[in-house]
Amino acid sequence: MSAVNEAFEQFRQGVRQLPEMAPPVRDIPGEERVRIFKETIIKNINPHQAMDLETCLHCGICAEACHYYVATQDAKYTPIRKLELLRRVYQREISPNRWLRRLLTRDITAEDLQAWQELVYDSCTECGRCSLICPMGIHIAEMVAVSRAGMANAGLAVGEQRAMSHEQGRQGTMFGMGKDTLVQAVEGLRAKGIEVPLDQEEADVLVATSVVEMFLFTDALEGTANIMNKLGCSWTLSTCGFEAANFGYMAGYHGYHRAAAMRLIEAALAVGAKTVIIPECGHAYPALRWDGPTAYGRPLPFEVLAISEFIGREIKSGNLKVKKAPGAGKVTYHDPCKIGRIGGVFDEPREALKALGLDLVEVEPTRTQSYCCGGGAGNFLISRAAPLRAKVWELKRGQFDETGAERVVTACASCRINFMAGAADTHWEKPIESLTALVGANLAE
Amino acid sequence: MSLLDFAKGPALQWSLYIFVFGILWRILGAALVRRTKDLSSPRVSSGERVTGGLKTILTRSVPPESFETRIRFLHITGYLWHIGYLVVVFLFVPHILFLKSAVGFDWPGLPSTVILVAGAITLATLVALLVRRIMHPVLRIISTADDYISWLVAALPLVTGFMVVMRLGPPYETMLAVHILSFELLLIWFPFGKLMHAIFVFPSRYNIGAIFARRGVRA
Repeated sequence: MSAVNEAFEQFRQGVRQLPEMAPPVRDIPGEERVRIFKETIIKNINPHQAMDLETCLHCGICAEACHYYVATQDAKYTPIRKLELLRRVYQREISPNRWLRRLLTRDITAEDLQAWQELVYDSCTECGRCSLICPMGIHIAEMVAVSRAGMANAGLAVGEQRAMSHEQGRQGTMFGMGKDTLVQAVEGLRAKGIEVPLDQEEADVLVATSVVEMFLFTDALEGTANIMNKLGCSWTLSTCGFEAANFGYMAGYHGYHRAAAMRLIEAALAVGAKTVIIPECGHAYPALRWDGPTAYGRPLPFEVLAISEFIGREIKSGNLKVKKAPGAGKVTYHDPCKIGRIGGVFDEPREALKALGLDLVEVEPTRTQSYCCGGGAGNFLISRAAPLRAKVWELKRGQFDETGAERVVTACASCRINFMAGAADTHWEKPIESLTALVGANLAE
Repeated sequence: MSLLDFAKGPALQWSLYIFVFGILWRILGAALVRRTKDLSSPRVSSGERVTGGLKTILTRSVPPESFETRIRFLHITGYLWHIGYLVVVFLFVPHILFLKSAVGFDWPGLPSTVILVAGAITLATLVALLVRRIMHPVLRIISTADDYISWLVAALPLVTGFMVVMRLGPPYETMLAVHILSFELLLIWFPFGKLMHAIFVFPSRYNIGAIFARRGVRA
């Protein structure tokens, strides 16, 4: 077993232990949970979402966009169904016609909340594909995030995400790994002769990383360091703010989202960074790029870029030169939903793959219509959702095979983990690679 | 006052009041929900966000190619019944004359036979959609009382209209009154049920188009 595969198996074992690490579910009476859920929904619904909820035709088209429905044909995975409790709260408590809606809409119960936990955590990755097909233009993914906030506040976030969110929010560590792990990872790279600035007083670029990169996908962190050095920019990692993954954001804990985002923001402000680079971590990108300003309370005084976006931009502008990558030329690129469909980064990673002389073949459907890996929004941590992820993997594997590509490249650690798990369980041999590692290993002399 | 006088007089007047004020009330109610400002820096200019929103109003009328085969039935039946309904309402000569008394001008209509065929296709499509709603596992699980009430309220004017034209059921005048009353029921229910999508579809599509355009994604 290779070192990466060995580390990957260790990682999977660690993930399986997460439910035991989760703080116990708060002992709250059912009526209190319902009250808190309702209060959170009422507080967080915005006018766009109100308009959306008023517009839904219940046509069911969104089901055809959802990878979980497509892979299982189980009606309960219909995206709009996942919003049922939020819809009922809206109709009964907020809607301008609530006096009538109360007669037609059943109130929610504590049992409903328990039953919907699976639908908003295990079987939705907030990938946004349904939002792009709804004929009425309903942004379902965004409202699943609101539902998660209601669930989290009511003490019903799924165990694995509760464990990760609490640990990150309160201690700033994940799986017990924190600053020391970063220092070790940096020393590991330095031992290979790679220069890695850490805790510089000033830097133009603050590079963020993630526990997965420090422990498992060190090739991506190494690639990032090589690229930054090659560009000759003034950059640094910071022990004050390095973790880009934001589990509070995923699980629906707004306080924890803010705490994790503020560590990065304060670290960037401390070094006077003009740019913050988010590593290959799908959710980390919107957590800072799009929703970081909400946590900060005002616009961010620096630019936030996904590493794939940064690399593609630098290659396109001619600042970063790469050589032809060795090995098979035919590759396919998987767009991480939070960076592509939800984030707007499509062309830059493709620019990098082309510059590496690789023959890019697209999956069908691709780009905005691409299917999710099945493990986003923290789903890859949920043990009981493994059978569901396996079904989505079958869908993705079929698409990858159809392209005839000999390797799969992506720019998100969750996607990579999810694909690697599927590949390991089904003995699928094609490599699943990091874009950053690939570029970092093939820089022009 | 005969039933027909009632239908053409106070019932029409009040149903129109409810229709207009109900719509305004519902739009205001949804629009006045507490809003939060998006503080992130957009990828595109405000003009491009507006263009993105406007484009999505149009593009959502046709599903993306990769979805077409999966949703063809709904795509076709959706167009069929909406177009059929509009043809019957606005191109049937007696309807045009009725509307002329309100708006002061008229327009050319279609022969009654064409309208009858359009009405039959529309009604058959509506029945097919209802059967699908009852039978399809996805639709069954997501349907609400509003879906069935709105279906009934939309179908009734078609059924009663057929009965008027084909001289079926009660005496002509009574049947005509029932037909007008069924249309007024549609006007009254419109602001309260999902029929309002005929109005909300525009801001809703615009919003998602603009939200995604802000991030540089064509929605």
